[in-house]
Amino acid sequence: MTGLVYKEWKQNRWFILSMIPCGFAPLLALLLLREQITSVDNIALRIGGLIAGFLAAGALQLLVLRGDDRKLWGYWITATPEGYKGFLRLKYEMIFAMVVVFLFSLQCVDRGYCAVAADMGITEIEEVSGIAVPLCFVQILSRAIDIPFVYRFGSKKGSIIKMIFMVTGAVAISVLMILNAEHFDTIIEMCKKVFNVQNSSLILSVCLVVCLALYYLSYRITCRLYLKGVEQYDH
Amino acid sequence: MTTKKENAQKLGIYLLIVSMFVLLFFVFRTTMNKSNTAFFIIYYCLFSFSPAIASLITRAVTKEGFRDMKLHLNLNGNFRWYLLAFGLPLIFFSARILLPIIVSGHSNWLGGFTVQDAVASVFMLAALSVVQSIGLLGEELGWRGYMNQKMEPLFGTVGTCLFGGVVWSLWHLPMDLAGWLDGEDTFSDTLMMCGGRMLLLTCFGTFLMWLTKKTDSVFPAVVAHFMFNQSQGAFGGFLSQCNIPENADLGAISDVCEYTTIIILAVFLLGCYYVKTIRTREIYNVICTRRKGDIML
Repeated sequence: MTGLVYKEWKQNRWFILSMIPCGFAPLLALLLLREQITSVDNIALRIGGLIAGFLAAGALQLLVLRGDDRKLWGYWITATPEGYKGFLRLKYEMIFAMVVVFLFSLQCVDRGYCAVAADMGITEIEEVSGIAVPLCFVQILSRAIDIPFVYRFGSKKGSIIKMIFMVTGAVAISVLMILNAEHFDTIIEMCKKVFNVQNSSLILSVCLVVCLALYYLSYRITCRLYLKGVEQYDH
Repeated sequence: MTTKKENAQKLGIYLLIVSMFVLLFFVFRTTMNKSNTAFFIIYYCLFSFSPAIASLITRAVTKEGFRDMKLHLNLNGNFRWYLLAFGLPLIFFSARILLPIIVSGHSNWLGGFTVQDAVASVFMLAALSVVQSIGLLGEELGWRGYMNQKMEPLFGTVGTCLFGGVVWSLWHLPMDLAGWLDGEDTFSDTLMMCGGRMLLLTCFGTFLMWLTKKTDSVFPAVVAHFMFNQSQGAFGGFLSQCNIPENADLGAISDVCEYTTIIILAVFLLGCYYVKTIRTREIYNVICTRRKGDIML
């Protein structure tokens, strides 16, 4: 396993380390657009920077999957003592660690910014880390969807097929919504009943744990699909 | 140089670096009180990570390398210990906070306490312990990942639990003394707080060391440490929803419950370590006697 960790570190260390600068995105947004800050309440700008940071980090997390969609590598790693399951487990752990490092960097920078702002006499400033935590789980969920596609169809084909699936899903949901337009009010009422103030914390916390469970499920699915994918890789 | 001497030297360097950071906290105390930025840099960026920084510096200075840092997750076969790391601090704080209220017959105070809120909190803590506990690697990489490893050959497992716990609580001294130094707390209160923390951290440190040895990874200790810190906040939130009178005083029962669970756990673990040490010695003696017999023959 140490050998695999070493291989991943040598191959992807810049992508892993780039999670730290991604955490500076809200600060960067403030610096770049400082002339447009008209009031002390710059939270919208910081949230914009935060989302940009999440998008950049997400793209970089996907880049660590590049280069593994080769037949020769697939056969070789299957023959090692750790097997392809060990290799995939390490990939999942590494991507998860990247998400965690990014969140940590983001929270540190945000806390630092708030400390500096408080020293400058801006007392109304609020930390945006609260939004970062649910977004971090969304990112985990996105990776849980991305990784099986990449290993089953290769990185290029995989992203196209995933897109087709997503578009098909969106179209299906839209059609269902149009067809059930008469019952729309009932559905909204039902949603209001479920997602009320009392239930919101329970629903949110359960959703967060479900995201983690889905990430594990994604690993198991990828393990099932990996060898089929290897057979179909171009080279 | 013998292994014991080498370990003592490495431990000395490590503790010296950590104590420098503690000193830094004392030296810049006034600056930290005045400036949020100074507090952020000294407390969050330096002091919180000082055990990890010290361990990395010691490893680099003594040229022992970075191989045995126990940074592998080792989830395979160890998932139950991760669950224990998550659950035990929760059980401990439940016993510490809720037990005195129930035992003293004031269960009606917990009227605002709903199962739904409790479940939501447990799920939230479970989710957060996975993504937000990384910050505590700054402590665990030093205490459990380095200091305990160097202490064990010198003081034995039981001794490491005790000495390690004392060192760990001494590291918290700047925070404990802050109130007294600022003139907000009395000296006797501060001493009580330091003593209480020493007892609590020595006992909890035993559990963390046991987790680290069992899984050969610092991550279960990181999760348990995170849960130890966050459970207090979670229970604080619960108590604010309950109907507890402002001047509520449960007396001795509250003091007893405050430490009982963790002391029982620590004594049990120390007992296990002690028995294991005696058994290992017995096996060693048997092997030595057999070898002597072979040589005689």
